[in-house]
Amino acid sequence: MYLRRSLCTQSAAGHRRRRQLPVKQVIKSNFSETIAEFKDSIFSSDFVAVSLQKTGGYSAPWQKLLPIDTEETAYLKAKRAAERFQVLQFSVCPFSVKASKLIANPYNFQLFPRHEVKVGMPSYSFSCQSSCLTSMAQEGFDFNACVYNGISYLSRAQESAAKVQTGSVLLNSCSFQSTSAFTVADVIFAERIKTRVKNWMNGCNNQHKTEDTLISSLRKLVGRSEIYGSRPSLTIDVCSERQVQLTSEVLKEFVNIVLVRAPAKVGVEAIQVVLTSSEEDKNLLVKEIQDLEEEQGRLVSGFREVIDLISTSQKPVVVHNSLNDFAFIHSKFLAPLPPTMYEFTSSLLTVFPHILDINHLMKEIGLFNKMNNLSSAISYLDRRFSTSTDMEVSNEEETGRVNVHGHCVMRECYLFIKLCSILKISLEIREGGHTQLPAALQRCSNMFFSSDARYPFDDDVRIWTGKSRTVSVSNLVFLWGFRSGMSAQDLKDVLCNSHDVFSEEFDVKMVDRTCAIVVFWTPGFSKSFLRIMDSGELFSNKLKDMISEGLQAADYETYKGVCKSGLWKPDLAECLDQATNEIKELSGAKTQQQEQSLICWNNDEMINLDEL
Amino acid sequence: MRKNYLVRVLTRLNARTSQPLRFLCSAPSAAGVELKNVTKSNFEPALTELRRHVREADFVSIDLEMTGITSAPWRECFEFDRPDIQYLKVKDSAQKFAVVQFGVCPFRWDQHSTSFVAHPHNFYVFPRQEIAGDGFSYEFLCQTSSLEFLARYQFDFNTCINEGISYLSRSQEEEALKCLDSVYKDDVLDVSSNLGNGSDMQLVRMADILFAERMKNVVGEWRAGLLRGVNCGSESPGSLNDTNQKFQTTFFQTRPALAVNGLTSRQLKLIKLVTEKHFNDLTYVHVTGESSCRLPLIVYTDSAKDRELLKGEVKACQRKAAEMSIKSAIGFRHVIDLLSSERKLIVGHNCFLDLAHVYSKFIGPLPSTAQEFVSAVQTYFPSIIDTKVLLNSDDVLWRIMKKGSTSLSKAFSLLCLLPVAPTSTSNGLADKPRVKVDVQVDGQRFSNWNSGAKHEAGYDAFMTGCIFSEACFRLGIDFNPQAPGSILQHNEKLQKYINYLYLSWVNGDIIDLKTGKSGTDSLGSATGRQRWHTKFTFSNMILLWGLPTKLKAKDIRECFYKAFGSGSITSVHHLDETAAFVQFSRAELVSDFLELKDSLERGNKNPISVLHPLSRILETGCVRAATYEMYKEVCCSPLSEVLFADQAERIGWKGASVDVNGEDDCEREGETTSPAFPKQSSASVRTSAAGTRSSMNLQTDQIMDSLCRSAAQLSR
Repeated sequence: MYLRRSLCTQSAAGHRRRRQLPVKQVIKSNFSETIAEFKDSIFSSDFVAVSLQKTGGYSAPWQKLLPIDTEETAYLKAKRAAERFQVLQFSVCPFSVKASKLIANPYNFQLFPRHEVKVGMPSYSFSCQSSCLTSMAQEGFDFNACVYNGISYLSRAQESAAKVQTGSVLLNSCSFQSTSAFTVADVIFAERIKTRVKNWMNGCNNQHKTEDTLISSLRKLVGRSEIYGSRPSLTIDVCSERQVQLTSEVLKEFVNIVLVRAPAKVGVEAIQVVLTSSEEDKNLLVKEIQDLEEEQGRLVSGFREVIDLISTSQKPVVVHNSLNDFAFIHSKFLAPLPPTMYEFTSSLLTVFPHILDINHLMKEIGLFNKMNNLSSAISYLDRRFSTSTDMEVSNEEETGRVNVHGHCVMRECYLFIKLCSILKISLEIREGGHTQLPAALQRCSNMFFSSDARYPFDDDVRIWTGKSRTVSVSNLVFLWGFRSGMSAQDLKDVLCNSHDVFSEEFDVKMVDRTCAIVVFWTPGFSKSFLRIMDSGELFSNKLKDMISEGLQAADYETYKGVCKSGLWKPDLAECLDQATNEIKELSGAKTQQQEQSLICWNNDEMINLDEL
Repeated sequence: MRKNYLVRVLTRLNARTSQPLRFLCSAPSAAGVELKNVTKSNFEPALTELRRHVREADFVSIDLEMTGITSAPWRECFEFDRPDIQYLKVKDSAQKFAVVQFGVCPFRWDQHSTSFVAHPHNFYVFPRQEIAGDGFSYEFLCQTSSLEFLARYQFDFNTCINEGISYLSRSQEEEALKCLDSVYKDDVLDVSSNLGNGSDMQLVRMADILFAERMKNVVGEWRAGLLRGVNCGSESPGSLNDTNQKFQTTFFQTRPALAVNGLTSRQLKLIKLVTEKHFNDLTYVHVTGESSCRLPLIVYTDSAKDRELLKGEVKACQRKAAEMSIKSAIGFRHVIDLLSSERKLIVGHNCFLDLAHVYSKFIGPLPSTAQEFVSAVQTYFPSIIDTKVLLNSDDVLWRIMKKGSTSLSKAFSLLCLLPVAPTSTSNGLADKPRVKVDVQVDGQRFSNWNSGAKHEAGYDAFMTGCIFSEACFRLGIDFNPQAPGSILQHNEKLQKYINYLYLSWVNGDIIDLKTGKSGTDSLGSATGRQRWHTKFTFSNMILLWGLPTKLKAKDIRECFYKAFGSGSITSVHHLDETAAFVQFSRAELVSDFLELKDSLERGNKNPISVLHPLSRILETGCVRAATYEMYKEVCCSPLSEVLFADQAERIGWKGASVDVNGEDDCEREGETTSPAFPKQSSASVRTSAAGTRSSMNLQTDQIMDSLCRSAAQLSR
């Protein structure tokens, strides 16, 4: 079995014969040792590129990001995907550009949501798209390594929910606010503790005095003195946080003791007073305990430490598809995704202040969404623009190991630099001048959703005239309930001249196999069409037949409602059906908000829809 | 009180351990049993061989490995699950998770060696999408803990994903063929339409124009040569020299044709354009070659009529190819079809879930009720026997099992591995020799095998078969047949166990596949009566959710005793950390409680409601209550939120008669959600709930303080 597996892994690896730069592979066993090194490299570089390998993208054709999506629906789709699927591989590449040379330190982390700390965390179950797994397998992804050795993690929200004690068990270091007035009870308690500790310390220090074993064990029993590691310790029961404060306050005068919160037993809190032999010994103990805590914390947060490091470094993060990737990052490593895009971005920006989307940069130089694929974009740019960038990778090549994963993030780095050089953006950031991004980059950071309508610079829209047109979502009508197998052309033929509303220019495209969208280029016609559909006014015969067979229409609000409601059925028609029923039930409850959102209508893009 | 709490803990434990029953099995020792591992590369020959083995077999044992068991903690099996709920949970599991390994092990009785011959097969299965765009969602769920479990037993995920055999269920196949019908029925369909509207393309780029011109010459020369009657088969005209690897003269159904190889799709589009524009008697088509790749051809036709004929032929050809690809996508289902058509006795161990998987993956969508499901299963598999039912229901076997666990590996080691105990046992059967089982893989026969608990489906199937044969032997069944092949399924001694399965082991409900009736202990065995005695009156039960997480069953019980008198409730069962079932002793208490809850929540913050014993339960302010039927509705839903409270919220359940509270919530949450879709995120509810809780606590404390003070004064 083992043999078989290693064989197949190697043959898969053998497929990749392209020139490849070494990427450091990180799994459970070498995670702790890598993290220090990673920390250094992230703080010494100017940018961080990240790339995620997920178990799936969308559950049904209509659920992927379509040109008909507004910012809001796009977010809801990304949210849905992030909640369903899992990240199995997370590649991070801290990089900087020095003297037109790319200096990169790529790392590739294998992740698996193993239940390390608590059952059901970080994820009880997750979805897989079999096509996605198959293509990962073709690229040589090692699923065994992932499940066996992947690094687990907990999101920030999960960590606090799991009530894993994050506070230090060390009490000496904590400084308390000056306590409010001492009551009589407090004074008595403090005095009692003081004398008890004093007695105990005396007892410990005079141990050389020969003593009957019976008496010494009795003394131990009565005095509750125990052993902490190799050092003597005393346990003091406390019943409130106030008494904890008092104890630490009172025992400040004893130099050689360390206060430790005892492992909580049910209902009883206690403090352990550990006696050390000297100042040196005390420091040693404190360090020991701190190291242990750090280790435990690492076990709890796991891979999230990487995310935390990226966040604390405040470096600009370069991604290829920011909305999707950061929806995943937010939901897996920070907290559950909020219901709206606005809340999402504001929550995210507190953690990652600068996010640079490569897709967005590509749009600036006139490559529209056509180039979804990193490699094709790179080869396209290489052909058209002949600027060369040197790559220098500082990870040393591990001998005897084929690195097959995580090259996506290298391609991302390369593409980013290429784009910046084409756009004449200098990436060379002077020492010390960290937080300030070049103005051109600053301008286009944190653009999660970049339809042209939202694009702040009118100049750039012009590039697309002829290919794409902007249309208000109020001019869109969804049609479903037609015979299966009908194409957009068939529908258009039926609609054409069936009524006055179709006398002007309009377009029909398929969204998925059960639903089509009609674009009215004349404002207002969509409304009248919907009204006519409702009233049952006469259309031409063929269209009438179709309506009697169950043809239905709905406006964009219904579609939005579908995305919002979480009715993610495989066929859009079914969802729209259900949503219209619900709206009818609740009609009159609310006046529909008039929203003039615009989406980009791109003819080139829509051709893809027919191939769905 | 404590006892009741214990019961809860035990049931939860039970539920957790008995569902993935293989968890209980012993640690793997040295692998000893040879298995035939089957992946897509050796599937065809293995299937042919398996056909023979199954045909000769006396029974076939099966076992499955899945990517998960339950999609949420509350979807685990509980003892308070009614049979219909149990089926819904099994259905949910079978629909969501994937089968990754399928063990099939035919057993044949060999009269000469008086032993069984087993052929353990271990199929790697993966739901790969083989037919493009058939509209089915090839998505499956993985339960993290199940994957970890598989990993612990060295399951090879790479082989499964890379090499796993894919499949198509019967209904998927029908659907795909129907889809094909509708595509090819249309007469107006252009044969070459797959290339998009080629005529739309315009020659704009210089390279295109040059290429088109050259192609025009090439094709023109070829046509001219054809018309001159020159034998173009071997000698190409001079100008074709440089491109003759790309163009080859062949024949398409007796018509001369030019095959075009190695060009880009853009170039092909240009060729199509040129052909249509300049040559009336040439047609550009795509045909599917023997290697199932699409081959572009330029075909010469005599007349317009001939051209129409050609188009028809091409279409038929394409359709045939499409049908072939559907047929070849059936994949692993051939094994299921084989088991079904041979109508052999199928043996499994606690196999109700396995059968649900088999049905939903290879036959069709699962019916909505258990009755429909079992009757459908019976048409495909007329006789099924479950070794777990057998071991627990037969008193002789139950004694041999020492009345202990009947998990697969435990039963296997007790029945088939341990040396036969010296005969001090009362049954007197233990001193008999054991049934011999030989393993045969790829023609090799092994009579001496060690145990090898590898948790591979093939091995588990083998173990199941061994247990079954040994159990039959202990029941005194004679294997030497008069009518070979079908003896076992008509054996009188086995008859009363055939087609009985555990609907769920947790509460011992057995379902009769022949009638669809289910209930505890329908086989009337002593063990059933011993093991499961808790009875539930479902109409007396209410479901509470949105409870404070720290509330224990003990606390809930106490609160109810204070409010309704001791003995008012018979049991409390936690569904998950925020949801619990409370069973009242009398039916009218259900409505009493709902009314009381209502009035307490209406008088939101007045002292009576705060001091009321139930306030401890209701303190989160978002506690909902409903009857048992609502539980069924929630289980029906395709969604699976981790917490039951979130699930109920998502499917829009506000609970029974909690309208007052509901209104309150709507007002508070109105800003974030539109009324048309009243499902709000659980997070917002949580936070608002937490807010009210703390204020409530403060009040309680204050009131308690004042009461204490007054009491102290009084006593003074």
